[in-house]
Amino acid sequence: MAPKKQKEKSRANLADDEALEWLKPRVLIKPEDQENVPEAELDEEVGRILTTINPQWVPDEVAFHYGQGRFVTKPKPTFGKAYPLYVYQGTAIRKDSDEAKAQIAAGYGMVGFDDAGPKRAKVKKSAAEEEEEEEPEAEPTPAEEAKAEEDAVGEEEKYQEKEPPVEPTEAPSVTETEVAAEGAEEAEAEEKEAVPEEAGDEEVFHIKPRVKKLANQFNFCERAALTYVYPRRSVETQTVPPPRANYGSTALQCIIFDYYQEDYAKKMREKEEEKPKRLRKKTTKHAKSAQQIHDEQLAQRIREAWAILERLVNQNIYDDIAQDYRYWDDPSDEFREGMGSLLPLWRFQFEPMRSHAVCDLQWNPHYQDLFAVAYGSLDFTQQQKQGCLCLYSIKNPAYPEYSVITESPIICLDVYKETPYLICVGRYDGNVCVYNAQLTLESSYQYKSDSVRDKHSNIVWEIRWGARLIDGEASFFSVSGDGRVVQWAVMPGELQATTIIALRSTAAPVPGPDGTLINVNSCGSCICFHPEKSDIFLVGTEDGAIHTCSLKYNRSYVRSCQAHHMPVYRINYNYFNNTIYASCSGDWRVKIWEDGRDEPLFMFELGSPVGDVKWAPYSSTVFAACTADGKVYVYDLNVNKYRPICVQAVVSKKTKKLTRIDFNRKLPVIVCGDTKGTCHVLKLSPNLRVMCKPPKKAQGIDQRTLQIMKLDKLLSLVRDPPFTPGVVDEKFEED
Amino acid sequence: MAEEGVAAAPGAAAEKVIHTYPLIRHSDMSEEMRTEAMELSVTACEKFSQNNELAARMVKESMDKKFGPAFHVVVGESYGFEITYECTTICYMYFGGNQAICIWKCS
Repeated sequence: MAPKKQKEKSRANLADDEALEWLKPRVLIKPEDQENVPEAELDEEVGRILTTINPQWVPDEVAFHYGQGRFVTKPKPTFGKAYPLYVYQGTAIRKDSDEAKAQIAAGYGMVGFDDAGPKRAKVKKSAAEEEEEEEPEAEPTPAEEAKAEEDAVGEEEKYQEKEPPVEPTEAPSVTETEVAAEGAEEAEAEEKEAVPEEAGDEEVFHIKPRVKKLANQFNFCERAALTYVYPRRSVETQTVPPPRANYGSTALQCIIFDYYQEDYAKKMREKEEEKPKRLRKKTTKHAKSAQQIHDEQLAQRIREAWAILERLVNQNIYDDIAQDYRYWDDPSDEFREGMGSLLPLWRFQFEPMRSHAVCDLQWNPHYQDLFAVAYGSLDFTQQQKQGCLCLYSIKNPAYPEYSVITESPIICLDVYKETPYLICVGRYDGNVCVYNAQLTLESSYQYKSDSVRDKHSNIVWEIRWGARLIDGEASFFSVSGDGRVVQWAVMPGELQATTIIALRSTAAPVPGPDGTLINVNSCGSCICFHPEKSDIFLVGTEDGAIHTCSLKYNRSYVRSCQAHHMPVYRINYNYFNNTIYASCSGDWRVKIWEDGRDEPLFMFELGSPVGDVKWAPYSSTVFAACTADGKVYVYDLNVNKYRPICVQAVVSKKTKKLTRIDFNRKLPVIVCGDTKGTCHVLKLSPNLRVMCKPPKKAQGIDQRTLQIMKLDKLLSLVRDPPFTPGVVDEKFEED
Repeated sequence: MAEEGVAAAPGAAAEKVIHTYPLIRHSDMSEEMRTEAMELSVTACEKFSQNNELAARMVKESMDKKFGPAFHVVVGESYGFEITYECTTICYMYFGGNQAICIWKCS
């Protein structure tokens, strides 16, 4: 029975182990050269005896004693390998020492526990006597034996006196039955016993008063500390057994198979139910989009047809203008030497933007008939809520080719030269956007600065596309009234802003409310990049300073000069000489500057705030400016260094102001915008666009060289003192 | 394209595909416990694919350890049963396409 059970158990354990093996996968690694020991030997038990003998110790070990000069036997190590680190003198003393005997004599040593004193002494006494009586050579009771055992032994031995050893419980009956027979003897014996017992008692009695009662350290309890013991009682309760239920089923292959099929079918159904949703969406979308595509294509065709028709109609309506534009040159020019005129051609207007001002306009660098207009508002007390970006073609003066209404007025724009359909705009609310004119109007802007994170905190006054970044991303720069020049990298899907420079004001720091000094930023109002050195740019500020800055220095200006007394509205580099630039300002003046020179080369006062100044792309000495009193001034420095060669009022100065002006790159026309949302295209009369005649000595020099020569000649007359290399050049030659 | 593929699949798959995924037939266990039981059963049945007894033992012992003693597990291909179980402790599932596993607790 037992071995079987054990076997079962072991099997169970084995199974258990097996079952749990998977929980903790364990691979025993054996060395390859491990000796192969049969199973039986492995199971064999090898006994090991521990002794106190130090097998390491050699009894006859000798060592050379240098003091005595001979070999001496090494003494046996006292502690073996054990070294006492700390010795503490205990209070225990040997029982048979003199001190202990003295203590026992005094009655202290014999007491172990509180109840032990007299009884123990008595028992010991009697036991010792009986031992003496019965077994004279009996072994002495070991002192270490338990007290209880001693008690029992003593008790037993009491009855062993004349009877064979019996269990103590039976003893009384035996004594009773034999009382009659051995009564006398017993009595005698008892008396005999009683006497020494009494004697013992008396002895103990003598000792007792001297016994210092020691409290049991383990379960002793002061009587005073005892509390009332409450009577116990039983209370019963029965919990509701956990709820149970019955379940029955049958597992059969066919049932399992059927259920799997059912489940699979259900899953498929669910899948299909899910799919159609998407498919339906797709198909409907697709169907819709197919319809849409058709519609769109149709609409596109119709639109194109309409566009052509519109242009036809416009061409018919504005036929005389078109004829003028193409063929009419003012014949009076021949008689007015050195004076010219402007012929008003088309006027462009966008009906929703009637009350807006043309804040910026620019001819498209690629399409000569196309120009972009930014509608915003320059009346800051009654600021318009909306703005608009329009592209007009002179082929269709009636309606813009592209227009998109923005939620904030647009202040400035710039058309990207590499991809002329990308236009970046700066807005009144400080945001900058990039518009893609190829996209439909719905999509509005393609990129927009984050209104929360990195927009300007003031009006963006001018925006200019810059060179591509190292990684090939397009970038543009904006200057704003908050005094920052920010470079915007056009990353996929977002614009990344980098502050290039924060313009500092010359004004002393203003003490803040808590005593801190706040540096005042000066407000940037325009920006212009050097045509060749793409990291040099000029920033005009509202306090009239022009700072030459570099992308390389974001803390200090390369150069700075107080050019005007009012906000600088525009800085424009000459197309033929990179060191010459013009600036215009609200202080009525247009100034022509040379890099590195603190004084302007030319200064013209136009009698009204000058909104814009632009160099002519065809001549190195011609520039045009428009003023707030509605006039366009055209200067040719080669013809007249002091007076304009043409002054023409384009709009009524009572109601309108001219804001911006731009030369067409190829055609002899200029466009200027006014504060009522109208763009005027004007044709330059022949006297305004005189080309250089090559001198007789050097025929065949191209026009550009001639223009540069013309300007250089002019400059050499004007320069006083003679030209010295610009500060800018010096500074950058050092780098 | 996609529609055709989906439409063709069930017809062909219905006869050929042998389903081996664990499939709960009846269970009132908590989600956590059911997942545990299912995973245990799958592990055990895969480990002891030839010995249902050991598989059942393994599931039972693991369940006992995790959710307290007195679990009972039956693993087999065809059997019938009528049991009394403590509520929220039964899980009757199929696995491997031909095995039925019944796990319940009753002490």
